[in-house]
Amino acid sequence: MSNDGTILAQKIRKSFGPKTVLKDINLEIASGEICCIIGPSGSGKSTVLRCINGLETVDSGVLKVNGEDFGYYETAHAYHAHSPKKLAEQRTRVGMVFQSFNLFPNMTALENIMSGPVLVKGADKKQAAKRAHELLASVGLAGFGDYYPAQLSGGQQQRVAIARSLAMDPEIMLFDEPTSALDPEKVGEVLAVMKDLAKKGMTMVVVTHEMGFAREVADSLIFMDDGYIVERGDAREVLSNPQEPRTQAFLEQVL
Amino acid sequence: MTGTDSALKPRLKRRSTFEYVAWVVCSLIGIGILASVSTNPNFRWGVVAQYFTHDTIIRGLMLTLFLTFASMALGTLLGLGLAIMRGSKIKPIAATANVYITIFRGTPVLVQLIFWFNVSALYPDLSIGIPFTDIGTKIDTNALMAPITAALVGLTLNEAAYMAEIIRGGFSSVGKGQIEAADSLGMSGGMKMRKVIIPQAMPSIIPATGNQVIGMFKGTSLVSVLGVAELLQSAQLIYARTYETIPLLIVASLWYLVMTLLLSYPQSKLEQKYSRATSRLPRKAKKAVVLTEPEEGNLR
Repeated sequence: MSNDGTILAQKIRKSFGPKTVLKDINLEIASGEICCIIGPSGSGKSTVLRCINGLETVDSGVLKVNGEDFGYYETAHAYHAHSPKKLAEQRTRVGMVFQSFNLFPNMTALENIMSGPVLVKGADKKQAAKRAHELLASVGLAGFGDYYPAQLSGGQQQRVAIARSLAMDPEIMLFDEPTSALDPEKVGEVLAVMKDLAKKGMTMVVVTHEMGFAREVADSLIFMDDGYIVERGDAREVLSNPQEPRTQAFLEQVL
Repeated sequence: MTGTDSALKPRLKRRSTFEYVAWVVCSLIGIGILASVSTNPNFRWGVVAQYFTHDTIIRGLMLTLFLTFASMALGTLLGLGLAIMRGSKIKPIAATANVYITIFRGTPVLVQLIFWFNVSALYPDLSIGIPFTDIGTKIDTNALMAPITAALVGLTLNEAAYMAEIIRGGFSSVGKGQIEAADSLGMSGGMKMRKVIIPQAMPSIIPATGNQVIGMFKGTSLVSVLGVAELLQSAQLIYARTYETIPLLIVASLWYLVMTLLLSYPQSKLEQKYSRATSRLPRKAKKAVVLTEPEEGNLR
């Protein structure tokens, strides 16, 4: 069986200077699984996500994405960093959606979506444009291709950003608090796009504060605190009946 | 109260006594200077008019413009390279750019110009060829470093250091998120630079570069010490013969002033264009689009 769309982490540690943000992260995410990560700020949940697509490097531990060691290759005694080219290639298989959208302001919505396929994969411009139009339509923004990010609302920008990641045909999509920077009334439109995506069998890891989304869409839920995974289980199960006292305290605050 | 409706009365600005005094004093000073300048025969306005479009002066002006734009163009290219080097993760490369910038910004450009003019004292011959073989040619440095070459080299190398700082400032104005977005799409370093960083750094680089052009235009007068017949040197050549020092300096100054004003106009336009709050809106952006989303039913 192919390992595409899977994530495996074993004993991952990561420090920023003297501060250890990931202390002992072990997780396994299956292909097509929708996994939500919740937890207080500073618990390391964003860092986990950023490690999975190489925006941060892990200090030690095993990290396999799509079944292969990510960013490094293993020899008898050490892990050696991949060449930038190989790392970039691995990254194209993992899409990332940021809290602050990070669309390229110098490109239109369509150019943003086309940027990955055309600039990185060298795809044919016409075909990439056709695909980009389809993706725009799939996030409910048909006809918005010529708009620049600054002309779009936050919710629209985030949907374009999702389409931009999808244009690379990744096996895994990572969402780093995708709705935290949005007006409350725009949250729904982004979550709707994400729910749509979940139905299509994409592996999704979502760092979020949207408990409603987690309850409705997620297969599994991870609660993180202080660099550790405190609790992990079926999303609805954990939300309604948390086992760990720390999870209980957190959920009492946010629900 | 008079008959006029109070609600319609104009509201007048308050003028302080100081404002009236300032008007009077400044006007008197201005009139005094104008009167003195126009009546003092030593200014020799006739001579100024006579030489204003003199062949030597115009040729000097052309050389000044050439030096300005050539050294700006070369300096910007070199500066871009230095800015990229300075941001390099590879320490020796970043350090090399750092040392270059420190030296060229830390010494007067006049000293640098004279230095390049006299560089043949350090290296009498320049050889181009393959080291440790007989292949190659030797060039007499003195012949190569003609005044105009020394001027171009000196101005370019100096300008590159300043442009490097301006460009680096532009680079650092591009948000970290933009670079992460490019990384997560798997863009290579060069691609990121060309498609994401440079286009977004332009709004802060271009106005500053315009300022540098204007500065460089006046700065070229320094190369007159090398005997390059640019605008100032041309004026000096004439007054060395005719002893009409002041009128010819006025001729040169007027040209500097006129050209600076001409260059300032596009510069201020550029600054306006890029300093707007909507500077994130690129040039092609359509104005006044109504941000309505298509109705659910209209979705294709």
